[in-house]
Amino acid sequence: MADLFTSALSGMNAAQLGLATTEHNIANASTPGFSRQQIVLGSRAGQQSGSGFIGQGVDVTGVRRIYDEFLNTQVQLEQNRASYLSTYHTSLQQIDNLVADPVAGASPAIQGFFDALNGVANNPESVPARQTLLSNAQFVVNRFQSIDQRLTDIANGLTSQIASSVNTVNSYAKQIAALNGNIKRLTALGQGQQPNDLIDQRDLLIGKVNQEIKTTALKNSDGTVSVYIGNGQPLVVDEQAMQLLTVQSPSDPGKVEVVYNNNGKTSALQQSSLQGGNLGAYFDFRDQSLEPSRNALGRVALGMAASINQQNQLGQDLNGASGGNLFNAVSPRVDRNTNNDPASGVPSVTIANIAGLTTSDYQLKFDGAKYTLLRLSDNVTTSYATLPQTVDGMTINAPVPVAAGDSFMIRPTANAARDIALVTNDAARIAAAAPMRTAAALTNSGTANISSGTVNAPPPADANLRNDVTITFIDSTHFTVTDNTAATVLVAAPGTLYDPNVGATLSFNGWTTQISGSPVVGDVFNVVANTNATGDSRNVLLMAGLQTQNLMANGTASLQGVYGQLVGDVGAKTQEFGLISQAQDNMLAQTVASQQAVSGVNLDEEAANLIRYQKAYQAAAKAMQIAQTMFDAILAMNS
Amino acid sequence: MMRVSSNTIFDSSVATLNQQQARLLQTQRQIASGSRILTASDDPVAATRALEISQSDAANTQYASNRDSARNTLTIAESTLQAVTSLIRDVQTSTISAGNGSLNSSGRKVIATDLTARLQELLGLANSTDGLGNYLFAGFQSRTKPFVDTAAGVGFFGDDGQHLVQVAANRQMASSDSGADVFMRIKNGNGTFVTQPAAANTGSGVVSSGSVTNPALLTGNNYSVSFSVEAGAPPVTTYDVTNTTTGFAVAGMTAQPYVSGQAISFDGIQLDIKGGPANGDIFTVTPSTNESLFATISDLINALNSPVVGANLTNSLSHGLNNLDKALNNVLTVQATMGLRLNELDALQIVGDDMSLQFKQTLSKLQDTDYNKAASDLARQTMGLQAAQQTFVKVAGLSLLDYL
Repeated sequence: MADLFTSALSGMNAAQLGLATTEHNIANASTPGFSRQQIVLGSRAGQQSGSGFIGQGVDVTGVRRIYDEFLNTQVQLEQNRASYLSTYHTSLQQIDNLVADPVAGASPAIQGFFDALNGVANNPESVPARQTLLSNAQFVVNRFQSIDQRLTDIANGLTSQIASSVNTVNSYAKQIAALNGNIKRLTALGQGQQPNDLIDQRDLLIGKVNQEIKTTALKNSDGTVSVYIGNGQPLVVDEQAMQLLTVQSPSDPGKVEVVYNNNGKTSALQQSSLQGGNLGAYFDFRDQSLEPSRNALGRVALGMAASINQQNQLGQDLNGASGGNLFNAVSPRVDRNTNNDPASGVPSVTIANIAGLTTSDYQLKFDGAKYTLLRLSDNVTTSYATLPQTVDGMTINAPVPVAAGDSFMIRPTANAARDIALVTNDAARIAAAAPMRTAAALTNSGTANISSGTVNAPPPADANLRNDVTITFIDSTHFTVTDNTAATVLVAAPGTLYDPNVGATLSFNGWTTQISGSPVVGDVFNVVANTNATGDSRNVLLMAGLQTQNLMANGTASLQGVYGQLVGDVGAKTQEFGLISQAQDNMLAQTVASQQAVSGVNLDEEAANLIRYQKAYQAAAKAMQIAQTMFDAILAMNS
Repeated sequence: MMRVSSNTIFDSSVATLNQQQARLLQTQRQIASGSRILTASDDPVAATRALEISQSDAANTQYASNRDSARNTLTIAESTLQAVTSLIRDVQTSTISAGNGSLNSSGRKVIATDLTARLQELLGLANSTDGLGNYLFAGFQSRTKPFVDTAAGVGFFGDDGQHLVQVAANRQMASSDSGADVFMRIKNGNGTFVTQPAAANTGSGVVSSGSVTNPALLTGNNYSVSFSVEAGAPPVTTYDVTNTTTGFAVAGMTAQPYVSGQAISFDGIQLDIKGGPANGDIFTVTPSTNESLFATISDLINALNSPVVGANLTNSLSHGLNNLDKALNNVLTVQATMGLRLNELDALQIVGDDMSLQFKQTLSKLQDTDYNKAASDLARQTMGLQAAQQTFVKVAGLSLLDYL
């Protein structure tokens, strides 16, 4: 009879536990990371009797967490990738909005500058036109600087985002380590029963770490997990959490990198293992999008400043003096590695030709015997036994002294957009005119003409450029050339043979001119200093013509062309990341739905369970009542 | 059959609503801004292309403004030259009237005074400015007065520089012409040689300007035709032709009998002399040189102010008229090239306007919102969002707990 009570009681207990678990599920229906729980029931072994084994009731053998290890790992992986893509996309959008803006981008400012050059070409003597040109030049400079400043702001923002992301990882790592300890002890106490809710919390934290950086978690038999970053670099082992720290990169002082922090002592962490998640996105965005964009912008600024300067140097300004620089000359940025021999020097790097410049950064290493130059954009290495060498539009001189193992970061165009400046505010300094002009003597009786002449590039212009030179035809097919200023005979009698059907190209003292037609004996042509040449626009026309010339990228693109490439590259990348990111979000949503399908709480299901356990409880209670009634009946028989 | 967690119902509904709202916002922004491409990433290919076309369009607009500048200068220069040609025609008329034999010296002086005024007027025209203080015919030295009257006649102080203007992508056009080419470089005589009587001639011989019969035989040397008259009845007039550069007599041209108006030919040159040259009269033949329009008119004024001796007035007037003709041709030629350049500017303007229209159309296609499509998108997306909202409310409202 007593076993009737025991059996009914076990049923009531089981139903009560079932109700408790159901209520726990309902309460945690929207708790992040919660996996629904079920009680595990087992029937008690029957009591042997003559009539066979009689059931003894039910036992609750445990509370199970409904959970799929594979799906959970999958969610973490997808989450990691989704954070990476979404953060990269959001970061890219900042540049995308900046460079392609039809009003705020650099393109309209460059156009304005070239329009103003045309204005000076139309009215070279007009001071207002020249002043407009200077204002437009200042406007371009300001625009380059403000875009570069915006990129710097983004870079600074990234540095603090990296630091905060590293702090987040550190904090999660500590919490995971603490949970490891609790779970280990409770598992031992529970003799195989697992602290389900703590494990859920730990999984949630591992998922959150994965939003910051890609990790691998390995389960240990004592219930703890070990978390590794990238290729097996430990983050959490047992109850110990490694701490990460951001420090200035030894190779590039403008960047930060992540290292281990062991109680104040840092030890290096392989940077390539910082992949995925927000942190991976910050680093990839910085190295693959932000800095290349800055370099591309710098390349436009440098190309414009250098080409305009070169042409201005070949001309003559309104005061009759040789043209100088309108913009300053921006030098490439070179940083020594902080681990270099302290006695070592820094290589000086100069711009050799703007056409060869790329948007890449370079790493120069010396191994004691040879120099190795690594182009970071495509990882192409070139070795040199000696320096200087001219490569990709820059000339690299040897650092003096240099020690084996030294390395240097060379960034040819990184500073150009920031450092570009106008070096003159004197409108007269714009060299609109050429320094020399040609003339046919009025006494010439032949029909030969002389072209207006050009100045030979590249600068500096020849020192004798403005010398007074006379070209005399000693007969109709021979001419001599005399430099009257220097009192030197450039071509002596019997002179150079001249064919009236072909004409002649003469190049002396840094100028070139053509004579064509039929001269007669005694005809004289002069090349003289271009004094008072207020109306000459030959040189500024050449400057205005630079707009459409393919000056950049080895002669394949114009200044605005390479800016267009920047806009296109950033736009295409932003679009690409936008699309992949969206696809990844959908992928993540699907994976989460699959994982939730297993572990998530369905309130209707729990409502059904409520009824199920309620009925079970009522039934068990009824059995108890019946047992009591039976017991009462037996007692009544005695009275 | 798959379990669905209650969270999934909410999460996926919220995600869908977010997506639909984002799309709706994008469409709304496209409509509001009128631009299909809000940032480069919306359509990187079109955005880059739009950037290129905007640049080409801006350059095209700049060329149009360059053309206006060239047109202004050319128009002023052309109208100046128009005035110069009419001035030359007036001088020609005066010169012809001065040749009227009935005119006495005071009559000629009146014409000389008129021509002096004309010379000053011409100087003024040659020193015209573009209205901004730039001399039209000074070459590169636009602020230097190009033509100045000096003791040695009007001199040119400009240069041969031409102001070039970028009038189209691949075309630079000269908007100015050298004053030397317009006023100074005018070949005198017939363009190859000049015939002139010696100042000391006393006879009535008048020399023609001559012509070239055989360019291959031309030597470019100086010649003299000298006359000797032997007394008699009638007197016999003969002439010798001497190459004064070499100092030798021209073969077969010594002691030739003179017949008034008959051709005298030697070394590819042909000329004739009319009238009665006196004994010892000399006519020279020299290669043509450049004579400025100013010098031609000055010489005419000097001739009109000088007393008449023999045929020198007639010779001077015919020399002057010949040079005026050359000058007129020269100015008309320059004027014609200006006209051609103005025509070309008009043609380039039409091309430029067409290109501008083309650029604007392409830009519009690339980046402007297609309102029909956008409006239909907006309607569709609104409907989609409404449907999603309504179904969400229905689905979220379903719960077994309601029936317990």
